[in-house]
Amino acid sequence: MKKRKNLILWMQSMPAMVLIGVIIIFPVLYTGYISLTNMNLYHWFDFEVIGLSNYARALTKVDSGFLSALFTTILWTVFNMVIQVSAAFFIALGLNTEGLKIGRIYKTLLMFPWAMPSYISILLWRVGIFNTEFGLINKILVSLGFDKVNFLSKNVPAFLSCMVLNLWMALPFMIMTIDGALQSIDKSSYESTELEGAGFWAKHFYITIPALRVVVAPAVIMTTFTTFKQFDIIYLLTMQKGALSGASLQTIITYAHQNAFVSNNYGLSSAVSIIIFGIIILFSLWTNRGVKED
Amino acid sequence: MKKAKKTLQLTALHIFYVLLCFVGMVPVLYAFGLSLSGSGGALSSDLSLFPDNPTFENYYRIIVEEPFLLWFKNSIVLSAGTMFVAISFGVLAAYAFSRYRFKGRRTVLNLLLLLNAFPQILSMFALFRLFKNMGLLNSKPGLIFIYAGSMCIFSIWNLKGYFDTIPVEIEEASKIDGASDFKMLVKIIMPLAMPAIIVTSVMVLIFVWNEYLFATTFMLSENSYTLAGGLYQLQADDYSRSWPLFSAAAIMVSLPILVIFFCIQKYMVSGLTAGGVKG
Repeated sequence: MKKRKNLILWMQSMPAMVLIGVIIIFPVLYTGYISLTNMNLYHWFDFEVIGLSNYARALTKVDSGFLSALFTTILWTVFNMVIQVSAAFFIALGLNTEGLKIGRIYKTLLMFPWAMPSYISILLWRVGIFNTEFGLINKILVSLGFDKVNFLSKNVPAFLSCMVLNLWMALPFMIMTIDGALQSIDKSSYESTELEGAGFWAKHFYITIPALRVVVAPAVIMTTFTTFKQFDIIYLLTMQKGALSGASLQTIITYAHQNAFVSNNYGLSSAVSIIIFGIIILFSLWTNRGVKED
Repeated sequence: MKKAKKTLQLTALHIFYVLLCFVGMVPVLYAFGLSLSGSGGALSSDLSLFPDNPTFENYYRIIVEEPFLLWFKNSIVLSAGTMFVAISFGVLAAYAFSRYRFKGRRTVLNLLLLLNAFPQILSMFALFRLFKNMGLLNSKPGLIFIYAGSMCIFSIWNLKGYFDTIPVEIEEASKIDGASDFKMLVKIIMPLAMPAIIVTSVMVLIFVWNEYLFATTFMLSENSYTLAGGLYQLQADDYSRSWPLFSAAAIMVSLPILVIFFCIQKYMVSGLTAGGVKG
């Protein structure tokens, strides 16, 4: 019986595991291997293993800005996640208020930012909202008698602009996840607390949040990684090729991109990738600490 | 008194959500307004969201002058293929991880999560070399496998979380009736898990629909681009001059997703499990 169960288990998970092996695991291993070689534009086929010197080069080179890029990335992730999860929780809770009859319509409308292809959203925001000539915010500022503001030319406003855009893009997913989880909570579990006269905060602190945790935790962890790895927003908004905005905002992934991919040095590129992956592993061990599965 | 308080509360909520929806939609509305304006629309300084003389000229131009319909077809094929592979593989694996207790189960699940954290953009180079050697460049199945592989861990975790909430009693009942494992999964568990399956599918669809980097790297000719890849190239060439044109394309690309969202909203109500046990 046990053997049969194991066989079924393997048969069921095999297709997914093979796919993951090729698409996810192979690139990691291959990148790890290339990081030990001198593969670049001049050694495309005749590259050889040169040990850890790519890492040494990356880590001495990053001296100039790697730590600040890392700091920016941590700041970026923490701010975004805290605001995102708490805002989404209250928005989803409100949508499930008894008697709010057109909640469905609000939900559909709130999906708009998510339904928009992200790179299109970013470009629409860059020109349609933040731009000094066509941007809506600047049009409003001018009509109110203020001066134009170039949001993307300095680091702090650029960081805040990227954050607003990221929240705009990422909130719908979080709202939908929490909303789905809220609807799977058995309504009767509230009844006894309501009889005991528990208020709004007590009710949600003791019933809703513990019930949400199991269902929502994977989504929160994944979103944290997405935010940490966010590339498109900062790249397309401030450093698109031929359209630099003036801000020198760097997260570690744009830093890796700039330092490695632009110079076509694949050995170095891979070393930087592995360093980033190492940071992510540490980061995920830390986030996993509090999540109890089973 | 209590009723009045409730009404006041609901009104406040309505005002809040109307404002929130407006903020959420302003960039889209603005783009929509621009897409209906003539070529000089982007430069006008007035604040109105919609142009005085709306025209569909930009929509006409994007469909006729660019291979828009071809990109649309490619996007559909890739989305459908990826959804099928990622969800069917994902359901099988997620169910195994949810129901069977075996040594190292948690380790494998957490390891998957860890692997999923490797930035996709950084694995592009390795995959490109692999696919080049395997002759899978410029092929739709090749790209489908990349997309499905990228979304597979996500769907396993997402679906497993939902399978965990389905009571085992339901399965035991059907086992007594003599249903096989696979039959039970397809006939009993999957219908119950439909909300999760649909939500996961929509996320896969959105991922494929929005992905432009792999689409433009692994597809070598303009004719095999997806909508996202095609539009990315379009803006990379010169989008500021044809800003209303780009807005029109952006609206058209987003429209199918909006329609799908609206259609599946009823499945989000996941009271199905409760009904299964009680009824």
